[in-house]
Amino acid sequence: MDDNLYREELMEVYKSTKNRGTLVSPSVEVLEKNPLCGDQIKLQFEISEDGIITDAKFDGSACAVSVISSAYLMDNLVGKSIEHAKKLTKEDLMGLIGINLTTSRVKCATLALEGLKNAIGKYENGKSNTENKNKNR
Amino acid sequence: MRRLKRKYMNDFPILNRKINGKDLIYLDSAATSQKPVQVIDAVTDYYKNHNANVHRGVHTLGDESTELYEAARKRVASFIGAVTPSEIVFTNNATDSLNLVAQGWGLINLKKGDVVLTTVAEHNSNVLPWEYICERTGSGVEYMELTDEGLLDMDVFKSKLTDKVKVVVLSHASNVLGTILPVKQISELAKEKGALVVIDGSQAVPHIQVNVQSLGCDFYAFSGHKMLGPMGIGVLWGRRELLSNMIPIRFGGGMVLDVDKKTYELAEVPECFEGGTPDVAGAVGLAAAIDYLDDYGMENVRKHEIELTSYAIEKLRTVKGLWILGPHNPDVRTGLISFVIDGIHSHDVASILDSEGIAVRSGMHCAMNLHKNMQISSSTRASFYIYNTLEDIDKLLAGIEKAVGLLK
Repeated sequence: MDDNLYREELMEVYKSTKNRGTLVSPSVEVLEKNPLCGDQIKLQFEISEDGIITDAKFDGSACAVSVISSAYLMDNLVGKSIEHAKKLTKEDLMGLIGINLTTSRVKCATLALEGLKNAIGKYENGKSNTENKNKNR
Repeated sequence: MRRLKRKYMNDFPILNRKINGKDLIYLDSAATSQKPVQVIDAVTDYYKNHNANVHRGVHTLGDESTELYEAARKRVASFIGAVTPSEIVFTNNATDSLNLVAQGWGLINLKKGDVVLTTVAEHNSNVLPWEYICERTGSGVEYMELTDEGLLDMDVFKSKLTDKVKVVVLSHASNVLGTILPVKQISELAKEKGALVVIDGSQAVPHIQVNVQSLGCDFYAFSGHKMLGPMGIGVLWGRRELLSNMIPIRFGGGMVLDVDKKTYELAEVPECFEGGTPDVAGAVGLAAAIDYLDDYGMENVRKHEIELTSYAIEKLRTVKGLWILGPHNPDVRTGLISFVIDGIHSHDVASILDSEGIAVRSGMHCAMNLHKNMQISSSTRASFYIYNTLEDIDKLLAGIEKAVGLLK
């Protein structure tokens, strides 16, 4: 683990457009906010019928910690199942980023993770609602 | 003047600390100031030699402690020009003081349809207590906008000051914009309409000479910890006749004269508002802080901060994409500068400055309404005090340039 959040390779991730942007037809999207510091990040996921995340993008205005953790998270999720995504913990995310964060910055890093959990909840809710509707027909 | 400043700077032990291997440059005094050794010693001396509960036992230490506590009250009263020391209520902090006014006065005096007039620039501590009381009494808070420069347009104030306004609630100086409001003029206009004026002086008392009588307001609140004093001690000044008609909000020991099961007789003002064991050491430390500021001279504090602020505004203006919030004229603002850099989050600026040993505040500074109104998600704030120098501002500028270089 490194203490320097603003080292070159992380700044490249921060400025990279790889996982940044919007999806044309996302299966689910959430807008995650941290009202205390004004971070606002939109997460979008494309999920296949068999529950695999086929694409994931984020966008918004946030600090470098939020942006970098979102970028790593999105990158890591593509090709993985929802079940895998559900099990991701804060520690897993910290491992992905590979930096030691001060107490005050940890919540910036976990914003994307909270967004992911909310997105999965929303997706599954939406799915079960549709299934229920179909059953009721 | 330079040598004089050096003399005072040596009084702050924490300034010898290294942060991330660099000399600490403390630019977060608007959040809390550092403490000179004189204040730290006064608190230590109290606990080492005089500690006992106040207004209770008859033993020698109890007397000494009570005398020190009441001497601190006198010291505060003379510092802000109160009529008598009994107009000084010791609280935990400015938030506590403002809640005491809102609940102790507002709850029994506001009724349905009444208006509490304030601005969008207020700290949460000056707005939320009133929103709470308004909800309970059926009255409402009305917010005035500021000009683009961050000033209060007096014509807007006059137009909003209707007969329904029962109380005007304002910060003497904004904790984000630095703007110093013309409290005297505001109080005169409010008085004509019969409205009370409650002032949050947290960002003013440490930096400018304040005389509550010449300001003409009715209540004035501030914290000790932003003016070189310890954390945990605050002050509410109120006009004697208003305090006498307020209800206490903290019941318990020390605030009653007599108790007889179903009935009780309240103690005199201000004891009736100070239920429970007070922060005597905090009051003693605050008195020491006031002695220190008096020795430095409040006019010198102001002069020093105008010099720092003018220099900082001139330097920060040179950074591309950086804009300074609030008025640029140092004569109408205090020694703090909040700024936004296009495309860079305030937390990143603060983190990079921290790596250079520079402490600044980032975020919304408990002024969400103001940030939302200005349509910015957050800002970075550098705030100055007597121990800061022009060199600190040079380092701040270098740190900001480093942040821009890394993140843009």
